[in-house]
Amino acid sequence: MASITPAHVEAASTLAVIASSNEPLLFLAADLTVIAASASFCRVFQVDPASVPGRRLADLGAGEWAMPQLGALLNATASGNVQIEAYEIDLIRKGHAPRCLVLNARKLDDGDHGRVRLLLAITDVTLARAESRQKDDLLREKAILLQEVQHRVANSLQIIASVLMQSARKVQSEEARGHLRDAHNRVMSIAAVQRHLAQSSLGDVTLRPYFVQLCESLAASMIHDPERLSIAVTVDDSVVDPNISVSLGLIITELVINALKHAFPEQKHGEISVDYRSKGQKWTLSVTDDGIGMPRGKLKAKPGLGTGIVEALARQLGGQIRVTDASPGTAFTLVHDELAANEGPQLSAA
Amino acid sequence: MSHHQVVVLVVEDSPIIRLCAVDLMESAGFEALQASSADEAIRILEARPDIRLVFTDVEMPGSIDGLKLSHYIRDRWPPVKLIVTSGKTIVSESHLPTGTRFFPKPYNDSVIVEAMMSALSEVNTRPLPGVDRRSG
Repeated sequence: MASITPAHVEAASTLAVIASSNEPLLFLAADLTVIAASASFCRVFQVDPASVPGRRLADLGAGEWAMPQLGALLNATASGNVQIEAYEIDLIRKGHAPRCLVLNARKLDDGDHGRVRLLLAITDVTLARAESRQKDDLLREKAILLQEVQHRVANSLQIIASVLMQSARKVQSEEARGHLRDAHNRVMSIAAVQRHLAQSSLGDVTLRPYFVQLCESLAASMIHDPERLSIAVTVDDSVVDPNISVSLGLIITELVINALKHAFPEQKHGEISVDYRSKGQKWTLSVTDDGIGMPRGKLKAKPGLGTGIVEALARQLGGQIRVTDASPGTAFTLVHDELAANEGPQLSAA
Repeated sequence: MSHHQVVVLVVEDSPIIRLCAVDLMESAGFEALQASSADEAIRILEARPDIRLVFTDVEMPGSIDGLKLSHYIRDRWPPVKLIVTSGKTIVSESHLPTGTRFFPKPYNDSVIVEAMMSALSEVNTRPLPGVDRRSG
């Protein structure tokens, strides 16, 4: 024991490495006697450094390390090639809150097969676990709050939609009824985006289901004879920012309302096509009908609220609205393309 | 009031939404009864065996919500048709009794009336009018 051999010199440097480790470490013999402990181990787990060398693991401190599973795992590590990797265990000490530990242990191979040495690293993750639990709680709370807000928004929109339709049913003037229905459709258009946002976790809106739902809703409230008029929706796989989707949805709402009101007088059969496609930064939205076409000259309708809304939103989106003769019918095309920004006739401002 | 009117029950805790829903159904030709909670709805259903359809919200105060109410009605009065609405978008139809239609809020009045007509005439659900689901 006292004689100085090369093995002892090597052990001394090993002991120095162990002692200075920032991560709590134990250096153990095959019988789970502690040869050395890092200063960090003694500090974190409040063990007197002088009491450690030569003591069995189970006798450290007040015996709190005498955990049967830990002993079994270390014995298995010592006897074979098993390694303990990220094994979690609770350290229970009298007068202390339980600590959550992550253990890693391996048998050291120094070429001397007759002498087994184990290195046990102990990480205290109690704080990290508590923080991650708190983070999970906060995330859950946030999800619940968000749901609650969406629920309230949906209910508020329902009140607005219900009152508008109630007024439309009660009012005597046909013109006022039309305006109330339009207002209802605008509210439903915004509500449809809200619904798609509530369902998407990414915060972006996939246009196809939104536009399909929007046009279903418009058809349900505006088309009384589905055999006569229909709306076809063709959309690529575009996904856009919610603000852009709200504007696009409102533009579609206005253009579809406009077509349903003016393009098919006298029970004419017809179809309205809503089409959206994008390529890189460029995108095109068109609403085309196969109705009677735009009136010309003196018959030209005075631009109303709908035209104002469409123009303002088109400007906001950095797009150009073009009205073309679709023979038969009319095509409204909104193009967003830096190159085409100065081409084409614009709708006259209201 | 005509004796031939179909009787329906609106269950909704928000007074304005309930008022408007009752008006919607009356203007569509139904006789509309109303309840502001599931408990009240059950009392009315017990008193009025002529109710043929219940249109209910989900989130309501009281001992049970609209979801549980819909199952209770299906068990106790199997022929009564059910239409459920909610401000929570993600109410899975699998949580509802079979044959129940679900519409998220804000619902479209015309869609609700159409769903009621369709349920009451035992015609299976058909596509919404005028919309062609083509995609490119």
